[in-house]
Amino acid sequence: MMRTHTLLLVVLASAIAALFAHRPASADEERNFAGSAQLDYHLVASEPAAVAAPGPATTFEGFTVEAAVKAAVDVSEHLSANVKVCYGCHGFELDMAYFDFRVADEFNIRTGRFSPSFGAFNLRHDPANHMTSDHPLPYDMGRMLRKGDWNNGVLPSPFPTNGVELNGTHWIGDIAQLDYAAYAVMGFKNDTDTNPTDLNFQESHLPYYLTSDPRPASGARLALTLKTGPVSDMTLGASGLFGTYDPENKLTYAIIGGDFSLRIQRTALRIEYLVRRQQFNTNNPDIFRYAIAPADEDFFAKHGAYVELEHPVAEALAVIGRVDGMYRVGNVSNVPVGSTTGTPVQSPLTFRSSVIRETLGLALALERNFRLKGSVELWQFSYADAVGRETELSFHLGAVGSF
Amino acid sequence: MGFASLPAGCSGGRAGEPEAETLSASAAADYALFALRCSKCHSLSRPLNSGIDRDDYWRLYVAKMRRQPGSGITEEDTVAILRFLHLYSIEQRRKKEQRLGVEPSQAPPQEPPPQSPPPQLDASPPTGTP
Repeated sequence: MMRTHTLLLVVLASAIAALFAHRPASADEERNFAGSAQLDYHLVASEPAAVAAPGPATTFEGFTVEAAVKAAVDVSEHLSANVKVCYGCHGFELDMAYFDFRVADEFNIRTGRFSPSFGAFNLRHDPANHMTSDHPLPYDMGRMLRKGDWNNGVLPSPFPTNGVELNGTHWIGDIAQLDYAAYAVMGFKNDTDTNPTDLNFQESHLPYYLTSDPRPASGARLALTLKTGPVSDMTLGASGLFGTYDPENKLTYAIIGGDFSLRIQRTALRIEYLVRRQQFNTNNPDIFRYAIAPADEDFFAKHGAYVELEHPVAEALAVIGRVDGMYRVGNVSNVPVGSTTGTPVQSPLTFRSSVIRETLGLALALERNFRLKGSVELWQFSYADAVGRETELSFHLGAVGSF
Repeated sequence: MGFASLPAGCSGGRAGEPEAETLSASAAADYALFALRCSKCHSLSRPLNSGIDRDDYWRLYVAKMRRQPGSGITEEDTVAILRFLHLYSIEQRRKKEQRLGVEPSQAPPQEPPPQSPPPQLDASPPTGTP
């Protein structure tokens, strides 16, 4: 089934690409191609036993490749189409396939498949557009150490889904830009687990057109960018997303976030915080680490934040320093999300668990569109892994090209 | 040496930015603004390697980028950015003609972006360039 989907996607992408490449453009129709590819090696300086610990896949070590090709067609001044196909850890995916119908700068209607407006990092999630090989922890997926324990970040990015978004931008003079968006989308789901206890991110990506959770999720974003000088600006934003994820539409998730960024010349400071309140099914109390209290004990909260400073230190060299982390409060399920057996495996998480990571990275541009990335990451967990380790060290070395 | 050495860096990095002496002061300023604004969200290779070499398409493209959330690109910025892209397009067309080994185009020059007479490179423009 999975192979069929992959094949269909490749055929679809090829057909669209061929169509865009060879169809003669009308006088007012413009086409544009863009793409990127990143190869990264992730080295975890832990004992092999820690990498291969029992339970769900806890840590990935080795090479990863992610690639994306995007085609954009401006059919007219008001109508444009975008299609983006990605290849990554989940195989081929349709990351974007949407139309924008722009009535005015202040009112645009987006329909199709896209990552809805949430937070600041999502705008530059493509590996060519950020300086480290991995994402900040709240937005991370497979490159996070002990990802199986945490079920990834707060809101792994990108998070393509199907739906409609109304968005717009309004300039207040030449000093302020107000961006806003509101959307209704398919959202996240978990149709696999008998007693769902968290979102199933992988399942939420595929298939695109089948769900037993038809009720849409909804969200919004508001951001204000101020021009503080000829070479500086700052942005303050707030986002929210709410939906249900189980087949009966009873279990809710709510994600809210705030972000701030300041850019002076090409030096950028970014701060972002988000939290997800996640309701879970308590029908089987035996799968939980702690006894279920009679009321208000059917959820956990996962907080995530990062502070990042990016500064060009030489003509082709940028240095990146980042501190990020997550903090989870609430009961813990001993059945991993998407477990095929449903057999409980003691989770190492406790009622309050945390991880803090400190990253120092370098990005060296060898060519306009080719860059090397390297980083060292120090991880500090609030709990020990299978071999008693609370602190871990990992390294990334990658190369990314774009066109 | 004009734009041949213009593989301007990536967001944050500055690989191969044009050497100041190769551009006139106004062109260098336009490029600096282009690089500053556009590198906020993506690498400069996105626009520079896009293959676009027509002013009317650049106008559409820059207007679209201006509408992106948090772009920080004002109306005034678009004039300077389009002025730089106009010059860059001329150089791209010249290089394309050279690669193809064809005579430089005799087509009439494209109309420059409104209110933005293109600044001249310090180096003499190649023969036949519009």
